[in-house]
Amino acid sequence: MLNKCIFYKILFLIFLIFSCNKQIKENISPKKHLFKVLSPENTGVKFTNQLKEDANHSIINYIYFYNGNGLCAGDINNDGLTDLYFVSNQGENKLYLNKGNFKFEDITKKANIESLSDWNTGATMVDINNDGFMDIYLCSVSGILDFEGRNELFINNGNGTFTEKAKDYGLDFKGYSTQSYFFDYDKDDDLDVYIVNHAVHTNLSYGPASHRKKRVGLVGDVLLKNTNGKFIDVSETSNIFGGPNGYGLSASIGDFNNDGWDDIYVCNDFHEDDYYYLNNQDGTFTEKMSEAFSTISRFSMGSDSADINGDGFLDIITLDMLPEKESIIKQTEGDDAMYNMQKQLKKLGYKDQISRNMLQINNNGSYFIETASYNHIEDTDWSWGPLFADFDNDGFQDLFISNGILRRPNNLDFRKYVSSTFKQYGSDNSLKWLYKSLDKMPSGASSNRIFKGNSQSFEDKTGKWIEDKPSFSNGAIYLDLDLDGDLDIVTNNLNEKATILKNTTDNSNNYLSIKFNYKPSNKEGLGTKAIVYSNGLKQFKQLYKTRGFLSAGEGKLHFGLEKNVIDSLHIIWPNNKVQKINDVSINTNLTVDYKIDTTPYSYINKKEKNFFKRENILDFVHSEDNYDDFFHERLIPNRVSIQGPAVAIADIDNNGFEDFFIGNASGKKAKLFLNNGFSFKEKKITHIEQDLLYEDNVATFFDADGDSDLDLYVGSGIELLRRKNFENDRLYINNNNSFEKSNNTIPNNFNNTSSVVAYDYDQDGDQDLFIGNLSNPNSYGDKPSAYILINDGKGNFSKDKEFNLNIKATAATWSDINNDGIKDLLIASEWDSPKIYINNKGNLKPLDIPNHLNGLWQSITTFDIDDDGDLDILLGNWGENTRFNEVSSDAPLKLYYSDFDSNGTKETVLAYKKDNNYYPVNSKDELASQMNIISKRFINYKDFSSKPIEDVLTYESLKKGKIYKVETLSSGYIQNNNGNFNTFIEFNYQLQLAPINSFAEITINNKKGLVVSGNSNKTGTYHGAYLALKGMFLETDNQINQLSNYGIDAFNGQVKQTGVIKMKNKNLFFVLTNNEAIKTYTFR
Amino acid sequence: MRKHIRVIILLNLIFISCKEKKASINITTNHIHNTVDQLTKIMIHDVFSPPVASRIYVYPNIAAYEVLSYNNKSYKTLSKQLNEFKTLPKIKLNNTLNKKLAALIAYMEVSEELVFSKQKLITYKDSLYSNWININKDEFNEAKMFGKEVANHVKLWMNDDKYIETRNMPIHNVLTKDPFSWVPTPPAFMPGIEPHWNKIRPLIMKSADQFKPEKPPTPSFEKSSDFYKELIGVYNIGNKIIKEGNTSEKLNIAKFWDCNPYVSVNKGHFMFAEKKITPGAHWIGICKIACKESNSSFEKTIYAYTKTAIAINDAFISCWDEKYRSNLVRPETLINNYIDDNWLPLLQTPPFPEYTSGHSVVSGAASEILTKIFGDNFKFDDTTELPYGLGVRTFSSFRDAANEAALSRFYGGIHYMSAVKLGLEQGKKIGHYINNSVTFKNK
Repeated sequence: MLNKCIFYKILFLIFLIFSCNKQIKENISPKKHLFKVLSPENTGVKFTNQLKEDANHSIINYIYFYNGNGLCAGDINNDGLTDLYFVSNQGENKLYLNKGNFKFEDITKKANIESLSDWNTGATMVDINNDGFMDIYLCSVSGILDFEGRNELFINNGNGTFTEKAKDYGLDFKGYSTQSYFFDYDKDDDLDVYIVNHAVHTNLSYGPASHRKKRVGLVGDVLLKNTNGKFIDVSETSNIFGGPNGYGLSASIGDFNNDGWDDIYVCNDFHEDDYYYLNNQDGTFTEKMSEAFSTISRFSMGSDSADINGDGFLDIITLDMLPEKESIIKQTEGDDAMYNMQKQLKKLGYKDQISRNMLQINNNGSYFIETASYNHIEDTDWSWGPLFADFDNDGFQDLFISNGILRRPNNLDFRKYVSSTFKQYGSDNSLKWLYKSLDKMPSGASSNRIFKGNSQSFEDKTGKWIEDKPSFSNGAIYLDLDLDGDLDIVTNNLNEKATILKNTTDNSNNYLSIKFNYKPSNKEGLGTKAIVYSNGLKQFKQLYKTRGFLSAGEGKLHFGLEKNVIDSLHIIWPNNKVQKINDVSINTNLTVDYKIDTTPYSYINKKEKNFFKRENILDFVHSEDNYDDFFHERLIPNRVSIQGPAVAIADIDNNGFEDFFIGNASGKKAKLFLNNGFSFKEKKITHIEQDLLYEDNVATFFDADGDSDLDLYVGSGIELLRRKNFENDRLYINNNNSFEKSNNTIPNNFNNTSSVVAYDYDQDGDQDLFIGNLSNPNSYGDKPSAYILINDGKGNFSKDKEFNLNIKATAATWSDINNDGIKDLLIASEWDSPKIYINNKGNLKPLDIPNHLNGLWQSITTFDIDDDGDLDILLGNWGENTRFNEVSSDAPLKLYYSDFDSNGTKETVLAYKKDNNYYPVNSKDELASQMNIISKRFINYKDFSSKPIEDVLTYESLKKGKIYKVETLSSGYIQNNNGNFNTFIEFNYQLQLAPINSFAEITINNKKGLVVSGNSNKTGTYHGAYLALKGMFLETDNQINQLSNYGIDAFNGQVKQTGVIKMKNKNLFFVLTNNEAIKTYTFR
Repeated sequence: MRKHIRVIILLNLIFISCKEKKASINITTNHIHNTVDQLTKIMIHDVFSPPVASRIYVYPNIAAYEVLSYNNKSYKTLSKQLNEFKTLPKIKLNNTLNKKLAALIAYMEVSEELVFSKQKLITYKDSLYSNWININKDEFNEAKMFGKEVANHVKLWMNDDKYIETRNMPIHNVLTKDPFSWVPTPPAFMPGIEPHWNKIRPLIMKSADQFKPEKPPTPSFEKSSDFYKELIGVYNIGNKIIKEGNTSEKLNIAKFWDCNPYVSVNKGHFMFAEKKITPGAHWIGICKIACKESNSSFEKTIYAYTKTAIAINDAFISCWDEKYRSNLVRPETLINNYIDDNWLPLLQTPPFPEYTSGHSVVSGAASEILTKIFGDNFKFDDTTELPYGLGVRTFSSFRDAANEAALSRFYGGIHYMSAVKLGLEQGKKIGHYINNSVTFKNK
């Protein structure tokens, strides 16, 4: 017995020793990262942006106290090595000479670059006086608290010393400056400057959006024009906004629409929209945010632009502060708190904004498609500076993001603490009290992030390329410090030493680094574009130094090259002349001199000759009522009341041309338009007009009573005041082209109708109907019944008792998929798989389809997409450009439906999987707004955060409820393989960017295909709107084009349906969008 | 002299406790005041809206009162007097029952059911309980049993008041084009709170609209209209007070009676709610002052609290019924949209429609109750707001305080004069009705 015991003890000891060994090994051999952190002792760069807080200087009385600072780079002594200038908010800025091999010398003292301003911000190196030596322009905040000073210009004397001369140049701007952006907006070959300034909260900054048109001193951004070396404020005449609401934190300069003139994207924090200024080529700008962008960051901070997909147009990234970690999300005030506020802001003229990063993919310079969630880069926490660059020299742009805030002011427990303990002590004392309470604000240390790009998507390399170690990094730049051909990274950190990351990319890939020697007045050639053609791929870059956040890099363009040859290099100079270089050697640091005999560059507009012509032929505006589903059921995943407009198309009057019925939302009249081949005439129908209180969701023309004319069935949705009588479906019988409502011929349907399709499914010579419902208007989680109405031949309808289906139907169609001459029934649904029924003369038998297809299906149709001669089943899903981008059959989204708080009302709670647990999507406050019990169960947000759904709602209450699942959000098709339907193929990524609501057949340039449309405004602020499906023309599964290339305006709303109607001499293409006017185009 | 007495009492206590094994648990009015204060504190922490707060004050008090009035010659039970409040089941009581103790226990047991931060109340309760157990376990247990019994009776009745059902009712929809309809106000733009409060069962009133006030002046932009004059009146008084500066008496009045638990403060990078007591809590505070000033007995204190809380409860139901009926826009909205986009009211506009003024109705009702109990011309120093950083104000009577409280909403820029005048009238009617139709004291 004793022996045995000893034996086990020894065994245990051995085990311990082994396991210790293993741990030690892991600890002592540090993971090798692509970027090596260099120690300050070795480099000599010991700079720290050290913050000094006191009761009178803190985040309590200056909102941007924790924004940190940046740095700028340039070769100040022309020795070929790039030197670094670090900016400290309050302390001493430092200038370091690059001595090669990552050794730096601090020359701050003798260089005489001491700032006289109290609060420094961004800096940029630029040769302002064209003497061949880099000068430094430094921004400062003055006029807030006791901050004094102004922006400063340190002129390089050429001998390692500087003299401050901002006043001489007219650059002594005084205000709340963030950063300066030097560029030549008026093409006079000298550098002008756009200075981003920031607002602070005032009564007026919360005023209407139109306040931005005012010009407010200190706060408003300014554009300064260089006139013979003197900078003159031309903001007003150039149409630059300067209002009290411009919380400018960064800008990106570039020729976004490829017209040869540089444009400006300005990032604004808080409720103010970002600005997108297009250069009018006459010294003025036009702000086009609303036209070109659908989805923008709310708390926009740093930004960058680069062509990441090689299409020759600059894409844009803006950063925000959406946390990624579950515990932080639930302890942080998020967009959920903004639902009500957003409505107010909209009234005040602001755009809907969402607090997350945005990746804006430029489409031919005319509009941007937002894809951050698709790329999994939407939530990188408190993020400041993004940098696009090719860090591994593989020819594709990667992405670095600097992260971290000293303390999180939007921590909910902190706010609650302050709220319940704060008292009116008088303004001085309350300030002191608040300052003391800052300790209670949790740290916002967060790892910098790096993502590898491949021109289509990004892959997270944090922890592999760089350390996954929380920090407070603000400004960052990339540059080749050791001239070895790869890009190193330098970050300025708050209260920590600056970091130099040495890039250790090996020589298996290649590079080209280009410096320009343009005209003397812009020697560095800021604004110059370069296109590298290599191995059939194109890389396009434009030289601007000021990027990311509060920082500016060196004046070079860096190209990584996977292949070891460059076919050709095109340089487009700021004056839009092009210089083509064919024999470019790789792996060199090239300097290109401007040659006078260059030819003008012609910017090619990729748009095909307009195939479609915009012609307003129909006068109809769909106008939603004010019903808000979230006011009634606060926890549902999306609204179900905005399904319209209803539409039915058929030749009513037998003149050979199809007529048009369009139903409206509750309170607005539906309209019937008769088509005479040339135009449409509205025909007033008394019975339909009388029913204006109904919400028209869907409609179809069909012969109900067998008298050979077409009658009309309209499926109803949710009425504004929830009067049940106005939520029933209706049948209007056609009597000599006048429609009369029939009574008691169809069963009541008080559910939220989503589909009605007619077909003689039992082949008895009359038209029967399939009716699908999306929801029970009183309880979202209830799965309503879908049913078939059998026609008795005289227009009396009764339900087919053999067909029983409870489903959240969204769309349905009859289509013959097995080639037996009889149409089969196909149904799309949410929180379920699509349902396919093979029709054997009225006997509907479910067809086996692939497993794991539970989705949020929005549309269904049949089309031969793989061009093999049979019909495939096309399915529109929610898409992958969503925060639920990790959904799979192993990690399905779950919707729990039960009366969780036993108060007699059932709730739905949506949950997602993360780290092997399910967490509620909704915040504590949202859950509590529907379930009082949550407030009692969790007093603090911290207690609530990281609690899986079982703990939040209790295991018992979950057990008694229903669970619905979504296993895929990808749109795609079930392939018809000689009559077998056992493979689901996902569409190409362009069709995954938003929900697909409709497929419509069309022939463009003799090519038969489908117009794919969709988008959704149905979700709350957790998602924001889904508006990235701008309208696609789908020919085959790998032949997909933007419809805008053919002359159709990008779809920026929630499109219900598109389609084609034949006219006498032309065709009409229409786009019906929820809450918008109909748009029509003609084509031949 | 006083010191001497205290020493003697103390000595006596020691003496008695040495001599007899079990002392009696001594419950004083301070116990009840402290417990009410504790409840107020937790309510501030949990941020309850003014109507919900009125409900939280009233039921614990009723439970305590029912304990005291059980088999009581001087005080009459409220059962059958309050709507749907049934008679307590017959309970056999020993002569030894410590009724004050049982009343306090009933108070805490019901309170616990009503707040979010239950644990805070339980901690408070447990420390008292363990103390009492130490003094006299039997006495405590007996009181606890009775206190809980009454508490349960009250809780069952309370839970039937439609409060739970109203939690799931729709949010007040404000998307309207009528310029005179209420819309959320800056800076937090909160949705209108408790739009369904009129569905809560009143305690005395027969229905929520029993004291429906007359309509406010017809909204109009016509300069000669009464409404427009009142609107301009709000704008002008605000500007006048600002001119007068920090020493303005009107400013002090406005601030003193703010009692808005929703004030959002914007500091640097963050916005937080600056919590305050509700108008109901302020009048509960005045009731406490009156009880203390008049050296009221334990029984009278509970009686005064209960009656005041009942009046406040019904006042909120009546007022909220009118608020969402008339759904009138706040002066801040109209002034910003049509007169001066940079104008700010001195007080932050609370998140619900304008007419009538909640503070006016509540003050009218509570002051009539207190006047009836403690008499008119009851002069007092109102120290209620001291813990919240505001000063002391002196009033010659409860009605004097009510008049000032009502007027403060006009000075604060959050109400038109009609809401103040007619609101006060509405409240007084409710007060009189309660004074006349409920019997607390047996004659």
